[in-house]
Amino acid sequence: MSVDAPGVVAVDVHALREEVKNKYREVAIDPHGAHHFHTGRYLARHLGYDDTLVASLPDAAVESFAGVANPFSLRPLSKGERVVDVGSGAGFDSFVAAHQVGATGQVVGVDMTEEMLAKSRSTVSKLGLKNVEFREGLAEQLPVEDGWADVVISNGVINLCADKRATFSEIHRVLRPGGRLQFADIANGKPVPESAIRNIDLWTA
Amino acid sequence: MLEDSGFVDIVIGPSVDTFGGAGGESKARLFEVFGYPFLARKPG
Repeated sequence: MSVDAPGVVAVDVHALREEVKNKYREVAIDPHGAHHFHTGRYLARHLGYDDTLVASLPDAAVESFAGVANPFSLRPLSKGERVVDVGSGAGFDSFVAAHQVGATGQVVGVDMTEEMLAKSRSTVSKLGLKNVEFREGLAEQLPVEDGWADVVISNGVINLCADKRATFSEIHRVLRPGGRLQFADIANGKPVPESAIRNIDLWTA
Repeated sequence: MLEDSGFVDIVIGPSVDTFGGAGGESKARLFEVFGYPFLARKPG
């Protein structure tokens, strides 16, 4: 299926998802491999995450982190808040969120890549966290009920969604009235040629 | 697009040189790609 409408990039949506899954499967399995972006503890420090908190997390929670900025930098989360992490990967931002919302809060991470879900779920089990869970799903079809979340976070994920309008609409659906969207993503200052946008290989290159 | 989706009070934070020193740096420089934190609120 190819889509071409406002907020929707004309690419084969399913092919793009598979390309993204393949890329992030690599990041889950081989986080220190040759990727075009930084990963792990170096990246977390580069993006300004709290050193002490990051140091307290096990390698499995941090090494596959591949975010693009810090979604907590403009506003930290509050105790007791309910959080959805869209494209949670191996769980790094979900674990940071869990620390900020505390035991009375709740974090639901959503990801479509099996290897990332296996890694994040394993870390939850090892850490014995009761306020974090990871669900399989798509950014455009979040497995979360209407109005459940106080906050939705995401990091470097929405730029990889072909239908950004559908993604923002879905995030709006799961937020309660007055809820916040705190996300980090990339933006380009110079226009990318249409031919490059249509080349799926370049989305994750 | 955030406004079109019903969000208000949109704040964009300072840029971060996400790809500086990484393998994708040259492509990022070509199109001036940087990372940003965003904050927005659902009315209510």
